[in-house]
Amino acid sequence: MKAGKLSGVLRRRTILTAGVAIGALPIASPFILPARGETPVKLGWVDPLTGILSALAQSEVEGARYAVAEVNGKGGILGRPVELLVEDSANDVGTGVQKTRKLIDRDQVDAIFGDVNSGIAYAMSQVTNEKKVFHIVPGGHTDPITGADCKWNVFRICNTTSMDAAAITPELVKTFGKKWFFITPDYAYGHTLQDAFVKNLKKAGGSYDGDMLPINTSDFSATLIKAKGYGPNVLLNNMGGLAQINCMKQFTQFGLGKDMGLGGALFEIESIKGVPKDAQTGWWVMEWWWNQPGVPHVADFVAAFRKGAGKTPSARHWFGYAGIHSVRLAAERAKSLAGPKLAAAMEDLELPPDVALQPGKVRYRAGDHELMSNVFVGQVHPPKGDADDVFATAALVPGEAAAGPVAETGCKMSHPA
Amino acid sequence: MNGAAVVAAIRRPAETRWLPLAALWAVLLAVPLWLPLVGGYTALAGRVLVLGLAAIGFNLLLGFTGVMSFGHAAYFGLGAYGAGLTLRYLAASTPLAMLLGTLLGGVAGTLFGLLIARRRGVYFAMVTIAFGQVCYYIAYSWNDLTGGFDGLRGFRRAPIGLGPLVLDIAGDGPAFYYFLLGVFAAAVALMGLLLRSPLGHSFIAIRENERRARFLGIPVERHIWLSFSISCGFTALAGSLYALLNNFADPLGLHYSLSGEIVIMTVMGGMRTFWGPLLGAAVFVVLQDYISSMTTNWMSFIGLLFVVVVLFFPRGLLGFLPRRGAR
Repeated sequence: MKAGKLSGVLRRRTILTAGVAIGALPIASPFILPARGETPVKLGWVDPLTGILSALAQSEVEGARYAVAEVNGKGGILGRPVELLVEDSANDVGTGVQKTRKLIDRDQVDAIFGDVNSGIAYAMSQVTNEKKVFHIVPGGHTDPITGADCKWNVFRICNTTSMDAAAITPELVKTFGKKWFFITPDYAYGHTLQDAFVKNLKKAGGSYDGDMLPINTSDFSATLIKAKGYGPNVLLNNMGGLAQINCMKQFTQFGLGKDMGLGGALFEIESIKGVPKDAQTGWWVMEWWWNQPGVPHVADFVAAFRKGAGKTPSARHWFGYAGIHSVRLAAERAKSLAGPKLAAAMEDLELPPDVALQPGKVRYRAGDHELMSNVFVGQVHPPKGDADDVFATAALVPGEAAAGPVAETGCKMSHPA
Repeated sequence: MNGAAVVAAIRRPAETRWLPLAALWAVLLAVPLWLPLVGGYTALAGRVLVLGLAAIGFNLLLGFTGVMSFGHAAYFGLGAYGAGLTLRYLAASTPLAMLLGTLLGGVAGTLFGLLIARRRGVYFAMVTIAFGQVCYYIAYSWNDLTGGFDGLRGFRRAPIGLGPLVLDIAGDGPAFYYFLLGVFAAAVALMGLLLRSPLGHSFIAIRENERRARFLGIPVERHIWLSFSISCGFTALAGSLYALLNNFADPLGLHYSLSGEIVIMTVMGGMRTFWGPLLGAAVFVVLQDYISSMTTNWMSFIGLLFVVVVLFFPRGLLGFLPRRGAR
């Protein structure tokens, strides 16, 4: 090769290398910034921002961001600004575990939140416990997280599947009957939810059939045909997010609405708005509802949130909102952000009315670290007037009543020495 | 790259041959010192090593035997589950977990290889995908044993006792990284020796011209089968290390998307070079780690990079260098 050509190659390569280096600068630079005067409190948030649960996850993150702005506007946590680091778990357990490790190892966050997906939340709790990092599960419902596998560092805001099932079963039996058909996702959430329903149904003397389907299922025709053949009084659609929406769409396409009722545990506002009118029906559970006439602070919060975020807050928004404020409250009580101290301060911490945003005493029960919030039991209906008015609360079941005593959860809390 | 270039690369003067290698090992050995300074963390380097080992193992088949498999995640995942199940149900012994994990993936690959060694090209690739998906759905549905979608939890890597000495790799410190590096070095040395042996040369002969290799009397099917089995064994070893790294195993470790990622790492790094897949794994893992914090569309960036590499560096990032030297 001639020298002239060679230098030409070198020059091109130099330019290429320089291009890559400049391109890499914005990626690399945030990590080598020197510490500023006020070190921020770092909160790590892992949620499935992509995948079938993305709508729910995005609501949680929006709620959290709203709360972070609010907290920072009032002086932060222990006088330090709050920084929220959000990671996508892609609705995959392995990725969620990896992201949790990354937030703890690289970013050295003070607390971890997540995940909407019960299986991921469950797996994350093993990591946070191993690393002794304070962990709040805002919206992963499977029971063992605050039951048989409860951990000193893990708290949960949303209900357990048992709480939801116990609260709604009497209405389903009364309204529809005792012959049920389940469509349930085949992972931690679905397993514990169906078990809880079956337990309650058997107590009432009912019978059931059903299918366990992969969490990402999009074609429900075989199962719906099976359901039609079984002829249940009510179909319990336990799927989550987009899978639940797809199942509902096919349910109406098959015209099954005249053969059986609809109902179950969670049919969240994000999903209700995505299904056909015929499927906007049945008895369901909300874990927080924006329309609570006469309850102090709720109307103010909803108005402010609508103004700030441009949408009506859902239960997921509230999970995110309450999660951030819970850390603030616990840190103020503990005067520290150390994992064990935060955890100790969270036990039996009662949320003030402007955070609880619902009636009654809402506290993190010390025995199992479950938030004792109300279960909103009621009927879903097509929008009336307000586009978000799709649910009529019939009864509020207090958390303590739905959850039963700590002994029944199977949790034996052991604290670090 | 053609055979002449490989020979030229091997026959470079000793100094230029050893210098890059020494530099590579110096960089790898010093990871716990420099990585935190540039914003990384040691567990990230662990992932690079593990996926790099999987890709180098895979490259034995793709780059050095010239056979394309799209199902190597199956053996990676089987290695992970083998290790995880051992630690959870059999004994808290890290070496036993690695051994059984490697055996599970390696033996599965060996048996499966018997069936497919006669297939070629796209048919070979398709059957490997199918086998991978079979493993994936078994792991997904067998809730009682594997934990199903939720993954296999409830095991931890155990410290290794060497007589009076105890190698404490259970913690987060650099000890576990150096343990990974040691296993990586041993595996890579084995593969390097293999490629320099007559068997390795016959693999390359098959890659360069299968018909000619057959006329020379090389039992092509048996050698492809051997290459496939060995490649699966090393990938399974990487999988078992992955389970130890995360203290966790999940079905996505068996999914074809991971197989695709292994192919991307290998091709991006340079499939005709020995170390290319490690570089590819490093680029992939680091990009994934950083960009996925910023945007949920991080895969688009990896895809873009892959397109750029294939268009402008068809021999991969590392394949570009020896070509220049050989001209």
